[in-house]
Amino acid sequence: MSSHSRIAAAVLAVVAVGSLAACSAGTTSAQTSNSPSTSTSASASAISSPAAAVQPLVLYAAEGYDAVMGKAFTAKTGIPVQVDDDSTGPLLTKIAAERNNPQWSLLWVDGDTAFASLDKQGQLLDYKSASASLDAAGTALEPADHSYSPTGTTVMAALIYNAAKVSAVPASYQDLTTAAYTGKVGMNDPSQSGPTYPFIAGVMNQLGGEKGGIAAGEAFYQQLKSNGLKVFPTNGDTLHALETGQIDYGLIQSSAAVGETLKVKATATYDPKIVYLPKSTLLPSVIGIDKADNAVVAKEAEQFVDFALSPAGQAVMHTGDPTGDSLYWPVVNGVTPLKGLPSTPPVYQHIDPYFWGPLESQVVTWFDANIK
Amino acid sequence: MTRSGSFSGRLARAEAPRFNLGRLRSARSAAFSGFWLLIVAILVVPILLFLIVAVSPALLDQGPQWFTLSAFRQALNGQLLVAFVDSTVVGLATALLSAAIAFWLAWVVLRTDVPGRRLWTGVVFALLLTPSYLIALGWERLLEPGGVLDVIGIPDSGLRSIMYGPVGIVVVLTVKGIPFAYLAISNALRGLGREFEDAVRVHGGGSFAAIRTAVALVAPGVWAALAIVFAESISDFGVATTLANDSHFLVATYALYNAIDAFPVQFPVAAAISALLLVLIVLALVAQNRALRGRSFRVLGARSRPVERAQVRPVPKWTNALGLAMLLLLALGVPAFGAVSASLIDGLGSLSGSHRWDLSNYRRAIVSPDLAHPLVYSAWLAAIAATIAVTLAVVCARMLATRGGTPAGRILDFVLLAAVALPGIVFAAGYIFAYNLPFWGAIRLSLYGTTPLLLLAYIATALPSTTRVLVGTLSQVQESMVEAARAHGRTSLQAWFSIVVPVIARPLVTAWLLTYTATLLELPVSQLLAPPGKEPVSIGIETALGKYDFGGGTAMEVLAILSALLVVGAGFGLFRLLAPIGWRRIGRAQ
Repeated sequence: MSSHSRIAAAVLAVVAVGSLAACSAGTTSAQTSNSPSTSTSASASAISSPAAAVQPLVLYAAEGYDAVMGKAFTAKTGIPVQVDDDSTGPLLTKIAAERNNPQWSLLWVDGDTAFASLDKQGQLLDYKSASASLDAAGTALEPADHSYSPTGTTVMAALIYNAAKVSAVPASYQDLTTAAYTGKVGMNDPSQSGPTYPFIAGVMNQLGGEKGGIAAGEAFYQQLKSNGLKVFPTNGDTLHALETGQIDYGLIQSSAAVGETLKVKATATYDPKIVYLPKSTLLPSVIGIDKADNAVVAKEAEQFVDFALSPAGQAVMHTGDPTGDSLYWPVVNGVTPLKGLPSTPPVYQHIDPYFWGPLESQVVTWFDANIK
Repeated sequence: MTRSGSFSGRLARAEAPRFNLGRLRSARSAAFSGFWLLIVAILVVPILLFLIVAVSPALLDQGPQWFTLSAFRQALNGQLLVAFVDSTVVGLATALLSAAIAFWLAWVVLRTDVPGRRLWTGVVFALLLTPSYLIALGWERLLEPGGVLDVIGIPDSGLRSIMYGPVGIVVVLTVKGIPFAYLAISNALRGLGREFEDAVRVHGGGSFAAIRTAVALVAPGVWAALAIVFAESISDFGVATTLANDSHFLVATYALYNAIDAFPVQFPVAAAISALLLVLIVLALVAQNRALRGRSFRVLGARSRPVERAQVRPVPKWTNALGLAMLLLLALGVPAFGAVSASLIDGLGSLSGSHRWDLSNYRRAIVSPDLAHPLVYSAWLAAIAATIAVTLAVVCARMLATRGGTPAGRILDFVLLAAVALPGIVFAAGYIFAYNLPFWGAIRLSLYGTTPLLLLAYIATALPSTTRVLVGTLSQVQESMVEAARAHGRTSLQAWFSIVVPVIARPLVTAWLLTYTATLLELPVSQLLAPPGKEPVSIGIETALGKYDFGGGTAMEVLAILSALLVVGAGFGLFRLLAPIGWRRIGRAQ
């Protein structure tokens, strides 16, 4: 290294130390003030217990209403909530990378297969909310060991179609493999769209079941492919394909489909309508507590779960994303769904996440190689 | 005064300079150690810890085995080998095309009077900021069934089948590679005085001979461009998950993406694929070193003469102008169209919507909580990261530019390119492995989940490309200028600031702006390392897109890009206003 490089290195050291110090100072001040971001801090008046006893909750969440829920919980309890709001994929990647030293207190995303895997790895704290009153669907979605809790449910898939262009409406999944639907059906890519694996697993569960295996389901998707199935990355892309006329029928998550019908005014060329094919697979939004939480944080996390399952919490969830994730069917007794959401599909199923979760990698790889 | 006292006094005076020299050496040695400590901390440790998971998952709680090669067995299947061949071919094609176009562009902009050349400084930065998804989106809006070309009745099925495949992938990656290649090559070209061109002319050479000589003399810049674009291309995620995925063209990063995105996450398999990607980088470095070995490129000295802007004859002048316009249309027009159609025109290319101009997305974006505060947060981080990264990059570029190379320089070169070759999300996972160890908590130095760690990761992400942008210029600076200053009594520090800084001032400003703009919208590292409750602007945009608010998300993206372009304009404007005239003259044509 020449003398000039060393001089530059010395300058660098000064700049680096100065900048990091400034940055750290900035962080500290931001953390001690009411942050304008999704982080929520306790207001002095709301704190009912000594400040030292309160520790911030770290909520990893991929729900459109997570930020407003964090604020509402803080306002109610005085417990600060730091929300890490992102897509499900990066959050699960982060949790996997943090495994030897978890930093999250709660995880709240759509789909229970990942929670079954986390439960098998011993990462979830068993907790059953004493104050919550779940309905039949909610109770069916609860795992036996109460390692996580459903807070609502959507279904995968809703079949959204352009009624301005087509009149045929399928009555079963098998109908989609017939000539009337050749080249007209689209769905999401399970390697890019989180809710799509539960849909594929749901069809496999329906056709082959846990005893019959996945072969019958694979054969169904092969038939769909032979009939011109088109695969798009995510819900938004499949909807776009429907809007542009690349497909006439799209298999997407119910909240996205209902949101589209609420947002779009019907025209002579585009009139989205929804039908649910038997059986629709329930895709619950699920919350779980990190087993590595200390006693204080674990108690606070339990309070958060209680709040999410209370009528007050459910009302807040309805306000966060009214044309997206808030369009879920409640699983709490006495809570009604958001206006505009039709009633629950008449024929639905819940797949066992402990059976289908571990098969995800195998099925997605097969789909990648054979259907896309 | 006693005799002995007098002797002591003399001895003290004689010892003083030695003592100062010793302190200076200690300070230099400490700075040298500090530099390597920082490189090890921000680059080597995260990369190594991630790669080690491939053979020892138990070390970081990613599996039960302490030593296994099973991840490599899983990774090395027939599909992945095809993916590696595809990635290599795409990387080579992209690097060659980007470097060739960038050299032509730099020559036209810096050395000729072709109309439209002044636009390109801004265009290069706009391209740097444009995410690959927006470029791909622009093409899709044009070519998709029911897209704009279909609507206006232009048959596009042939072009569609070409663009939805390897050709489209190379086109999009080349557009993303051109700015990196341009900045590396143009900085080197600025340092090339008129005397070399004159020498060619004196010996009867024409324009092409002059260009050929210039290519040879700016070889470090050209090779820097080839290496950085190759590494960026083989590690690209955006195109891998869009155009490559849609056209069933398997590239290595997609296999890596599948290993990380599936649950349970397969970090060992991702690490094995990453290790194989690094093999490609080693091959690229070997090629670079063989090409440059034993040659000197120190052309920037006290006798360098300002170049004269060539007065091009009408036919070639307007041919080149047409070429610039075509490139502008292809590189920026298509993604701009994608952004406009998505954010400004209601329902363009779809069966729904009024197809009228509409600013509602921008009105929503401006008041969105996902834009204003996150943009300010990201802007501060980008500015700090750019300042530190450019300072570090000067040191790195200086080491890489050492003639013949040193072992330390070669190691540094590999580490820097390895950081580029590893996709951002992998790099960020390495940061979690390294800085979330319980050990840090035990010594009360937990950086994970804090803004300073995010900042360090931004610096590490930016350092390779920033270094490559500067290495061309620093390869040209003649040591004799500094030695002359020292011979005339200047200290090392004075010589550095009075001789070297003026020479590299403009490339430094360019590198700072490059790093600022590239960091502002960085996504994968932000996703894994942003502190809970702190939202960089890229995550805010991603959140909007995730809610199917495509118009609003794209409007936020456009506003963020415009804010960055304002900073670029201010940066160059301040340089023009404040820098001494001598600093501004270097590299400028008359």
